[in-house]
Amino acid sequence: MKPVQQTSNSVVIERKPSILSQIKKNLPAYLFLLPKLILFIAFIAIPVVWAFILSFQEYKIFGSEWAGFDNYIKVFQSEAFYIALKNTFLFTVVTVPFNVVSALIIASLIYPLGKLSQSFFRAAFYLPTVTSMVIVAMVWRWMYNTDFGIFNYILGWFGVDSINWLGQSSSALWALIIMQCLIPFGVGIILYLASMGSISESLYEAATIDGANGIQKWIHITLPLLKPSTLYLVLLSTIGSFQVFTQIIMMTGGGPGSATETLVHLIYKTGFRDFEFGLAAAQSVVLFFIILLFSVIQFRVLKYDE
Amino acid sequence: MKKSVKFISLLLAIVLFLAACSSKSNDEKASGDTEKEWTGTITIWDGPRWPDDKDNKFHWMDSKIKEFEAEHKGVKVELVQVPWAELPDKLGVSIAGQSWPDIAPVDISGSAVSVDHIDQGVIESVDDLFTKKELEDFYPNALDAYKFDGKLYGVPNSMTVHSMLLNLDLFKERGVEPPKNGEWTWDEFLAAAEKLTFDRDGDGKTDVFGFSTYIMPGYYEAWPFFYMNGGSPLNKDMTKFTFSDEKAVKAIQQLADLKLKDKVSPETSGGQDVGGTFQAWANAEQRTVAMQPWATWAIGAAQGKYPTNFAVANYPTGDSGKPVTIGGVGGWTMFKQEEAGKKKVVGEFIKYISSTEEQYTMATEYGTFPALKSAADKDPYKDNPEMARAQEMSSQVVMLPRHPEWKKIDEAIQSELQLVFNGEKTAKDAMKDAEKKVNEILK
Amino acid sequence: MQNSRSIQKLNKTIIYLLLGVFSIVSLLPLYWVFSTSMQLSKYQDEELERPVSYVDSNPPKMYPMGIPEYFEHWGKAREADKNGDTKEEAYHREVMDNIVSDTFSGFTTLFQKNNIGRWFLNSAYIAVVVTIGILLIDSMAGYVLAKKQFPGRNIIFWAIIATMMIPGQVTLVPLFMMVKNLGIMDTHWALIFPDLAMVFGVFLMRQFMYSIPDELLDAAKIDGASEWKTYWKIVLPLARPGLAALGIFTFMSVWNSFLWPIIVLNDANLYTLPVGLKSLQDANLASFKLLMSGAAIAAVPMIIVFIMFQRHFIKGLTLGGVKE
Repeated sequence: MKPVQQTSNSVVIERKPSILSQIKKNLPAYLFLLPKLILFIAFIAIPVVWAFILSFQEYKIFGSEWAGFDNYIKVFQSEAFYIALKNTFLFTVVTVPFNVVSALIIASLIYPLGKLSQSFFRAAFYLPTVTSMVIVAMVWRWMYNTDFGIFNYILGWFGVDSINWLGQSSSALWALIIMQCLIPFGVGIILYLASMGSISESLYEAATIDGANGIQKWIHITLPLLKPSTLYLVLLSTIGSFQVFTQIIMMTGGGPGSATETLVHLIYKTGFRDFEFGLAAAQSVVLFFIILLFSVIQFRVLKYDE
Repeated sequence: MKKSVKFISLLLAIVLFLAACSSKSNDEKASGDTEKEWTGTITIWDGPRWPDDKDNKFHWMDSKIKEFEAEHKGVKVELVQVPWAELPDKLGVSIAGQSWPDIAPVDISGSAVSVDHIDQGVIESVDDLFTKKELEDFYPNALDAYKFDGKLYGVPNSMTVHSMLLNLDLFKERGVEPPKNGEWTWDEFLAAAEKLTFDRDGDGKTDVFGFSTYIMPGYYEAWPFFYMNGGSPLNKDMTKFTFSDEKAVKAIQQLADLKLKDKVSPETSGGQDVGGTFQAWANAEQRTVAMQPWATWAIGAAQGKYPTNFAVANYPTGDSGKPVTIGGVGGWTMFKQEEAGKKKVVGEFIKYISSTEEQYTMATEYGTFPALKSAADKDPYKDNPEMARAQEMSSQVVMLPRHPEWKKIDEAIQSELQLVFNGEKTAKDAMKDAEKKVNEILK
Repeated sequence: MQNSRSIQKLNKTIIYLLLGVFSIVSLLPLYWVFSTSMQLSKYQDEELERPVSYVDSNPPKMYPMGIPEYFEHWGKAREADKNGDTKEEAYHREVMDNIVSDTFSGFTTLFQKNNIGRWFLNSAYIAVVVTIGILLIDSMAGYVLAKKQFPGRNIIFWAIIATMMIPGQVTLVPLFMMVKNLGIMDTHWALIFPDLAMVFGVFLMRQFMYSIPDELLDAAKIDGASEWKTYWKIVLPLARPGLAALGIFTFMSVWNSFLWPIIVLNDANLYTLPVGLKSLQDANLASFKLLMSGAAIAAVPMIIVFIMFQRHFIKGLTLGGVKE
C-alpha cells in the first residue's frame, strides 16, 4: 500500500458549498469513474455486505428467515469445520515457507547468471504458473495413479511397494502438499529477481572491500533488503493457500473420509451441494477473519519497515 | 468526507434499484386470457443420450422438440444440454437459486431433487396428467419411485439396475465356471474371485484380480453387498441408523476384506476413481479385473465402445439367501409452474417424450429398461441376452431410504466406508462413527 | 588466482546443474501433458498379440512412442522401396499412417465428438471481452484516481483497495444471488460482469498513471482538449506498458478461472475450457490420453501468450508487488 500522506487531499475542497456544484465541477472525473464504480458496487461491495447479512439468515428457497448467531454456532460446533481448518492450516504451514524459501534460493541462483540464461530459467519456472490449476491437477492426479503413475514407478526402483497416494487418509493430504511444493512459485521468483535488481551495486562493492564473501554478502545485504518482497510474498501465498480448492475438487473431492477437506471446499460443498447458503456465508466470514488474523500476525512478525 | 459517503450511498441505492427491477425481467410474460392456448418458452434439461451418425447425442430430444413445436404453434422448447455427471449438482444449485428449468430428467430420490423440495413446493405433482388406465400401464415399482404422500411427482421413463459383470475371457483363461444362470452365494463368489486372481507374467506380482469396485457419495454399486445379510442403512421409519447392526457390519467387512485379507481386489478397490475402475475391467488394453458391479449403462458400454466378452450375474447372496440389488428409475420431473396454461403444455410435452414408442426407442437405443409394460411387451431385448438377463433383476431391487437429508446421510456413510476399504478402520468402528453423524442428522 | 577461478567455474557448474534439475521438476508435468496427449493408445505391431496402450503402461513412457515407431517403419518402407518390394512398402506406409492418426487421435476425437471447439471459443470470447473491458474501465478509473482531485476520491480508492484483501469465496453465495436476480444465470454475462468488477487493475493503473508527468496533461488542457480527448490521445498511449501488463494478467486469470464458472454455467454449450475439462474427467469413459489432449488444448494459448509477452508479465508482476 502507498503511504498515507495523500488522505487529506479532499479536505480543502470540502469547505465549498453544495454537493451539486461539486459534482458539476468534477463531472468528468465522476463519469470516468462511473463504470468501474457501478460494477464494483454491484458485484463486489453489495455481495460483501450481503455475505454478512446472509450469515445471520437461514436460507429457504421461498424467503429466508433470521437465524441470529445460529450459523456461527453451527460452524464452531461442527467437526467438519475443524477438520477442514486443520487440513488447510497444515497445508499452509508447510507449503508457504517452502515455496517462499525455494523461490528465494532459485532467484538467488538465477540472478548472477548472464542475461540469456536468466530469462531462460525465469521462463522455465514461470511457465507452469500460467497454465490452469485444472490442468496441473489433472496431470498430477495421473502421476499419483497407483498402477501407472510415475511416483510409484520411481518408488519401485527402491523396492518400495506401490502407494495409493490419493486414496488413503495417511498420504492424501501430503500428496497434495508435495505437489504444491514442487510447483514452482513463479511469482515469487520473478519478484525476488526484480527486487535483487534494484539493490544498489555500491552496497556490494563496499562489502567486497571489507572482505566479505558471496554468502556473507547474501546474508547481510541481500536478505535484509528483500524483506519487503518477502513479506508481500508470504502474505500472497498464505492467502492463496488458505483458498486452496481446485486441486481438491479435481483430485480428491475432499476424501478419502475427510482427509483432504479444506475450508474453501467445505464452503463450496455447504453452499452449492447442501444449499445451506447461510451456513456457507458464515463459514466464509470466519475464513475471512482467519486470513485477516494471519495477515496481521505476519505483518507483525516480518515488520514492513526497518 | 460526509458528502462522499452520501454520494456512495446514493449510487448504492441506484444499483440496488436496478438489480431489483431486472430480477423480474426474465420471468415469463403472461399470455393473455387462459381460454387461448398458452404460448411461450419451455425450458428442459437433458443429458447426452445415444449418438446419431453425426455423433450428436442430443438428436433424439432435438427431433422430439421439433415435432412438438410443429404441433403447438407459439410454443418454443429450449433444451439445455448438461453432462450427466454434472447434472445433479447443477440442478441443485439452480433450484436453490430459484432458476429451475420446467422439466429435468431426475427422480426424487435425493441426488438433485429430494422430498424436501416437494415439501417446499418446488416440484409440481403430475397426478392430473394421466388417467387411471394409463397409470396401470406403468410398473408399480417405477411409479413408487416418484410417489410421495400419495401423489405422483414425475413421469418414469426408464429403469436401471446394478448387476455384476463378469469378464468371460478371464473366466475361461482360469478355467472358472461362471455361476449357473448368474445365481451364486457369497462363498461361491469368493472362490471364483480367488481363482481369478493370478500373476500373469510371472514376476511375482499379481496382475489380474477377481473383483474391484469403488466407493463414492451418490454411487451405490457396492451397496447391494451390504444388504446381502439383510442389513439396511436406516430402519423402516427412518429414525435410526442401522448399518451399524451386525448384519450390515459383517457384510461390509467381508467386501473390504476381499482386498485387505483375501487379496483378490487391487489396492485401488474401494477408492474414488470411477473411470479408472471401469477402464480396468472394460478397456481392452487393461482387463485386469474379472468381476465388477455396474449400473445398466456399463452393459451398453461393454457391447459398444468397449467390446467385451461378458456375462451378467446377480450379486451373490448372503445369510438372507435372497439376491438383492439396487436400481434407479429415470424419468421427468416438472418444476413449479406459475400459470395453469403453461403447466398444461409442459405436461403434454413430458407425456409426449415418455410414450410407449419413446420408451421402446430408449430401451433399444439407449440401453435402459422401459417403465411401461406396453413398451416392455414389444420385447426390446430379443437380440440382447445380457440386457434381458439384467432386466430379470428388476424384481430384486431394494429402495434406498427416501429421507429429505439423504444426501448428507449418504456422504456420512460413504466417507466412513472409504476408510474401511483403506483398512484404516474396521467396519464396526467406522459404522459406529457413521452412526454418530447420521443420528445427528436424523434428529 | 588460478585456484579461485576454477572454484568459480565449479560454482557455476553446480548452479547450472541445480537450476537444471529444478527446472526439469518444474516443467515435467507440463511436458507430460503434451507427451501423453500424443502417446500411442492402441498400437499394434506384428509381433504383439494384443494391442498395447502406452498411455496406461508401467513403467510410464517418457515420450510419444509413435515417433521412434514412425521412423522405424519409415526406414523399413524405404528399404522395401529399394528392394522393389511394393507390398512390403505399402504395409509399412499403412502402419505409418496409422501411427500418425493414433498419435493425434486424442485431438481429433475431442474436436469431432466433444464440444471442445465450442469451449475454446467460449473461453476466448469471454477472455477477450473482459480484457478489453477491464483495460478501458480500469485505465479510466486509474487515471482520475491518480491525476484528479475531487471529493470522495480517497474513500473510493481505499474502499477498492480494502476489498482486495477479502477472499473471493466470501462473496460467492451473494454474487450467485446477484447474478440470479439480474436474470443472467447460465449465460456468459454471469462470468463477464463479475470479472469486469475485479479491482486489481484499478490499483495497477493508478500506480502506473502516477508516472505520467502533469505538465503533459496541463498542456493538453491549455490547448483546449476535452477530458476524453486528453485521456484517449495522451494518457492511454503513455500508459501502454501498464496496459499490456494488465491485459495479460486479466486474460490469464479469466482464461484459467474455474470456481465461479462451474457454479453459474449449466449448459454444456456455454462451458469454458476448464469447466469442460472437469466434465470430461467426470464422465468416466474418457481415457487419460483424451483428458491430456484437452489439457494441451487449454494450455497452449497461455503458453503462447506468455512467451510472446514475457517482458510485460514481469513488468506487471513487479508493478503490483514491489514498492519503492
